Amino acid sequence: MELTLNRSDYLQVGVTSQKTMKLLPASGRRATQKVVVGDQDGVVTCFGIKKGEVMPVFKTLPGLKIARLELGGALNTPQEKIFVATGSEIRGFTKRGKQFLSFETNLTESIKAMHISGSDLFLCASYIYNHYCDCKDQHYYLSGDKINDVICLPVEKLPCIIPILACQDRVLRVLQGSDMMYEVEVPGPPTVLALHNGNGGESGEDLLFGTSDGKLGIIQITASNPVHKWEMRNEKKRGGILCVDYFDIVGDGVKDLLVGRDDGMVEVYSFDAVNEPVLRFDQPLSESVTSIQGGCVGKDGYDEIVLTTYSGWITGLTTEPVQKESGPGEELKINQEMQNKIASLRSDLEHLQFKVIQEREKYQQSSQSSTAISAVPSFSVNDKFTLNKDDASYSLILEVQTAIDNVMVQSDVPIDLLDVDKNSAVVSFSSADTESNENFLLATYRCQANTTRLELKIRSIEGQYGTLQAYVTPRIQPKTCQVRQYQIKPLSLHQRTHFIDHDRPMNTLTLTGQFSFAEVHSWVVFCLPEVPEKAPAGECVTFYFQNTFLDTQLESTYRKGEGVFKSDNISTISILKDVLSKEATKRKINLNIAYEISEVSVNHTLKLIHPKLEYQLLLAKKVQLIDALKELQVHEGNTDFLIPEYRCILEEADRLQEEYKKQPAHLERLYGMITDLFIDKFKFKGTNVKTKVPLLLEILDSYDQNALITFFDAA
Amino acid sequence: MLLPVFTLKLRHKISPRMVAVGRYDGTHTCLAAATQAGKVFIHNPHARSQRLNVSRLLQSPLDSDVSLLNINQAVSCLTAGILNPELGYDSLLVGTQTNLLAYDVYNNSDLFYREVTDGANAIVLGTLGDIPSPLAIIGGNCALQGFDHEGNDLFWTVTGDNVHSLALCDFDGDGKKELLVGSEDFDIRVFKEDEIVAEMAETETITSLCPMYGSRFGYALSNGTVGVYDKTARYWRIKSKNHAMSIHAYDLNSDGVRELITGWSNGKVDARNDRTGEVIFKDNFSSAVAGVVEGDYRMDGHIQLICCSVDGEVRGYLPGGAEMKGNLMDTSVEQDLIRELSQKKQNLLLELRNYEENSKQAESSSPLNESDGQRGIIPANTKLQTALSVNLGSDSQAAHVELRISTSNDTIIRAVLIFAEGIFTGESHVVHPSVQNLSSCIRIPIAPPKDVPVDLHMKTFVGYRNSTQFHVFELTRQLPRFAMYALSNPDPAKEPLSFVNFTVNERVQRVVMWLNQNFLLPEDSEIQNAPFQVCFTSLRNAGHLFIKIKPSGEITVSTDDIDLAGDIIQSMASFFAIEDLQVEADFPVYFEELRKVLIKVDEYHSVHQKLSADMADHSNLIRSLLVRAEDARLMRDMKTMKKRYVELYDLNKDLLNGYKIRCNNHTELLGNLKAVNQAIQRAGRLRVGKPKNQVVSACRDAIRSNNLNMLFRIMRVGTASS
Repeated sequence: MELTLNRSDYLQVGVTSQKTMKLLPASGRRATQKVVVGDQDGVVTCFGIKKGEVMPVFKTLPGLKIARLELGGALNTPQEKIFVATGSEIRGFTKRGKQFLSFETNLTESIKAMHISGSDLFLCASYIYNHYCDCKDQHYYLSGDKINDVICLPVEKLPCIIPILACQDRVLRVLQGSDMMYEVEVPGPPTVLALHNGNGGESGEDLLFGTSDGKLGIIQITASNPVHKWEMRNEKKRGGILCVDYFDIVGDGVKDLLVGRDDGMVEVYSFDAVNEPVLRFDQPLSESVTSIQGGCVGKDGYDEIVLTTYSGWITGLTTEPVQKESGPGEELKINQEMQNKIASLRSDLEHLQFKVIQEREKYQQSSQSSTAISAVPSFSVNDKFTLNKDDASYSLILEVQTAIDNVMVQSDVPIDLLDVDKNSAVVSFSSADTESNENFLLATYRCQANTTRLELKIRSIEGQYGTLQAYVTPRIQPKTCQVRQYQIKPLSLHQRTHFIDHDRPMNTLTLTGQFSFAEVHSWVVFCLPEVPEKAPAGECVTFYFQNTFLDTQLESTYRKGEGVFKSDNISTISILKDVLSKEATKRKINLNIAYEISEVSVNHTLKLIHPKLEYQLLLAKKVQLIDALKELQVHEGNTDFLIPEYRCILEEADRLQEEYKKQPAHLERLYGMITDLFIDKFKFKGTNVKTKVPLLLEILDSYDQNALITFFDAA
Repeated sequence: MLLPVFTLKLRHKISPRMVAVGRYDGTHTCLAAATQAGKVFIHNPHARSQRLNVSRLLQSPLDSDVSLLNINQAVSCLTAGILNPELGYDSLLVGTQTNLLAYDVYNNSDLFYREVTDGANAIVLGTLGDIPSPLAIIGGNCALQGFDHEGNDLFWTVTGDNVHSLALCDFDGDGKKELLVGSEDFDIRVFKEDEIVAEMAETETITSLCPMYGSRFGYALSNGTVGVYDKTARYWRIKSKNHAMSIHAYDLNSDGVRELITGWSNGKVDARNDRTGEVIFKDNFSSAVAGVVEGDYRMDGHIQLICCSVDGEVRGYLPGGAEMKGNLMDTSVEQDLIRELSQKKQNLLLELRNYEENSKQAESSSPLNESDGQRGIIPANTKLQTALSVNLGSDSQAAHVELRISTSNDTIIRAVLIFAEGIFTGESHVVHPSVQNLSSCIRIPIAPPKDVPVDLHMKTFVGYRNSTQFHVFELTRQLPRFAMYALSNPDPAKEPLSFVNFTVNERVQRVVMWLNQNFLLPEDSEIQNAPFQVCFTSLRNAGHLFIKIKPSGEITVSTDDIDLAGDIIQSMASFFAIEDLQVEADFPVYFEELRKVLIKVDEYHSVHQKLSADMADHSNLIRSLLVRAEDARLMRDMKTMKKRYVELYDLNKDLLNGYKIRCNNHTELLGNLKAVNQAIQRAGRLRVGKPKNQVVSACRDAIRSNNLNMLFRIMRVGTASS
């Protein structure tokens, strides 16, 4: 059955955070549900829909930004008490809007995630997890990296309380009391957790997670170990997951999975006989979907998906058909409703316009006075700067509540801006003045009307580090712009991992000296992405990294006074050595740097590169042949006379071309890394081989693995 | 939602812009398009039985409905239509870089095959002005040529640069068609037969033009801009990061007015309202769109809009019926309107909130300090000053126009974004000083490559050193047309030999006004009464420009740059609203160069002929050698056969070499022909109105009759008769 859903916008509130909208359970005779939403102005709005019009139930006064909104209530009763997390405080409201709880937690930071189960309250600030029962402190846990979400397995089905934290370092931490039971590695930084089927499945142990790189999966959290049920990769390169819900929108008696992503994609997955998800419906919206829930809001008898977007739109995707099948009179009435709505909006607008003109004049007048100041409140920019594993490039996503006018991008390191299909803005590169002003990149993106979200793709080079700045100017008066900074780290293409292969030949870099644990940690933060800014607890810490481009690895272990870095890639070690000594000199710390170079590691790295290089060369060759072969095909009419290899190329032509297009300059990047490897190998030996680089490039042009290895050995 | 009425997948690639629909036998509609390897295919889905099985037209081995026509050269333009009204069916016209072929598909015969030395970049078929027979008009290197069905060239004129697009449109509403020409020098020119009646300056090469309705026409630029003009006024334009591959006018929503249909390089097709540019319909192909045409492809009496992609996908659309009420997209108008109004409301509320917060801040805060700066607070009386001046440059920096932007207090300028078209590599220029170079004043060097007036839209980010939020000041300044010329002291010794002389009936004050508007004059420069003279130095090549005005109104402009002289005359003519202006001109250096070029052209022509003859000889030799070699083989005389084949091999090498020489010769020839065409165009630009057209046509006659002295005389005095 084809699922068709029609969009209808209900209301716009302020900018919303992730998971801040819920549907109150239906009560009494009425089958339609009310929507409750909290925004970043701190306002909780509750409303219902009656005959297509918004009927407000209550609205609270503005305050601190609302980070989460959950429903709760005594177990096994309708969950209709509203809890919001704002700052470090939890507030409770009844469904009529009466505040019954104001609980000031003892957390020093503001609350980031919240889960409620009966009288148990689970709260997380950036790194801290706290469990309260009846507002009394029960348990506490300090996480190694930022916590994105928290959930607890259903207490009705399990003997004890098992909270689970979704942490930025790609693990789910399963707790018991104040201790961690075990960690589960997931394929990306998890951003959202939900109980499978809304209740954790039959066992109550099935947990769904969504990651910031758009992956979904289910893990069964048993008492002793995790069992991975299924995982869905992000083949279509869609955005990260921000919210999920289970609701039977298809109407087949099985709950479907509703997913909202940060690129505005809304998806519905059904489950087949073997419990595998199947995509049933998707619709792109223009901005991040922050909350999603299935229910019935607009009209009795028609189920719908209710969602909120970043800029605060509450939208329904309803099964109610647009064209009414009833008589012509009814249609007229609907039109009438619409007309009324439009008329009231227009009169609102006129009124506002008048007021704005007055205020504008006042503002203009103030510019005559010499003492007055002009202060424009900052607008909120929702940004995300992440490394994509697939093509080893960064994507920068900027989202503003109103339309963006233009974005200016500046960088003091050489980076490449790549074209993104989704982005329709007109890009223009300005000539960079590297000498006097350290601008390696200056570009403007002039956005088309109504663009609230802009995605950029950036390719960095390891070893060259600095800052990327984005100046965002939205289309609003008085015009202001905000600057956002993003660090391009020296080892920018590395990604955190939790397991490495210890059998590889490793090069070691050892630092010793008079430095504190916090200092050495700050250096690691400076050099590598995805490391928590706060120094982890304990005396000694080990992080593992993987190079997303070459698959080489890095192990870093450090404590007060000592740091050990091991990598099978000599270039990684070389970069670390250069950066660390520079940093230490800057802070006037005396560092002893010792290194141990393994000759074998170079050949090992070359062998790692070999299959990639060979594949790319072959791909380039095949793509080159496609046009000529196609011409032959047109000329001869069939391809029987071709050798099978060529016929194969013709058959796969589209796929090959797509792949080739997807990774531009891949070959050049590989060549660059081989050259670096070559230079670095001899740098550690104390010889400068820059003069031999042209020779190396010549060998690469007619690539042969053995010749290359011989060249590396001989030089 | 409007859906395609048919979709075809042809197994041939389609070259961009090379698509045409025609009835080559008078009844059946066929699609012709250029494809790879110098071929043109004709897709004929209707007449399956009657096969055109003849030498030139081959049946495609891939598709039974497709016939292939071998051109053996890269096709550079293609169209179809009625060239010979007596035939009663359409002819196919195929242009390449050297030839134009008019082909009768039905009879499989050439109507004519003409060599066109200027190449054919664009082609249009139809009637022009008062010329009775339909013409195939081609645009090449600076030249336009129109042929009738016998291949007689009935129309010829020159234009400013290489032509990229052509269209016929009733521009002035007199019921006769004018020719629109889009060229590489970013100009759209309108020719009423061979008279230029209007020129519109655009910002990039004009890649497509299409007539819409009455005097309205659509255009597309190579930087992704599409838009609509009515006469010389632009209704709207939009710019995309993709490129418009093909544009066409078609009434898709049945409202009686044709919309502008654009096929984009990313596979998108959209239809836009001709007045507002609002999108009323869009669809997506999996690959770039190659062409958008219209025709009754299903032979049911309805004209469909036909869109083709480069991969050979063809989709046809019929206009939306009355029940769709012009609403072709999958949305409800009311919902959209509500969304738009709510968005507006939200924006106004935000603005209001901004003012409220602002006044709250203003009340509460004490004098400014550094932390305020970080939050983006600046004194309300901060003003931004801009000034344009001429900087003569130094050793390290070339001379340029300097734009100085400064704030009125201690606030700093974090960055300046200048959006202006045609003077930077992209559409914008960014100045972003490093942290240590931040100050309240920024000097930006600007060097416009062409003498055109440009609007500089500046966005200046003003704040404090540590600010994370800045105020954006938006200002627009116009850069005068001749900004790149600095006022200097008249030095009679440096006065250029070349000059133009003409008389205007204007008061001197008006001329001074013109000077002030078009040059960057220092503020203190006073200009005395007539007679007076001013002298300028070009910042580009240090060339001199003298403008002398006598009390009688006689003006002499002395410069060695003929283009500059032309620009000045055109600028004055539009400022003083002069309709006709006869000018006396002399450019001895330029004319001498032109003379050399003309001699070279003759040389290249003769070399070309000689090479062609050589080639014909060689091919005869090859034929005989081949026969002799094969004879030897039959007679089992292997030795002779080998010898013959070696000879053949050598001859082939010679032929290849000859071909290379021919190619080089041809490019040289093209370059020189372009120079000649440009010279005629430049001579024309020194005059205004009728004299201008007289010069162009007289020059052309002089070149035809190979009368060089006459040519230079015309260029000097503007007429052929003494």
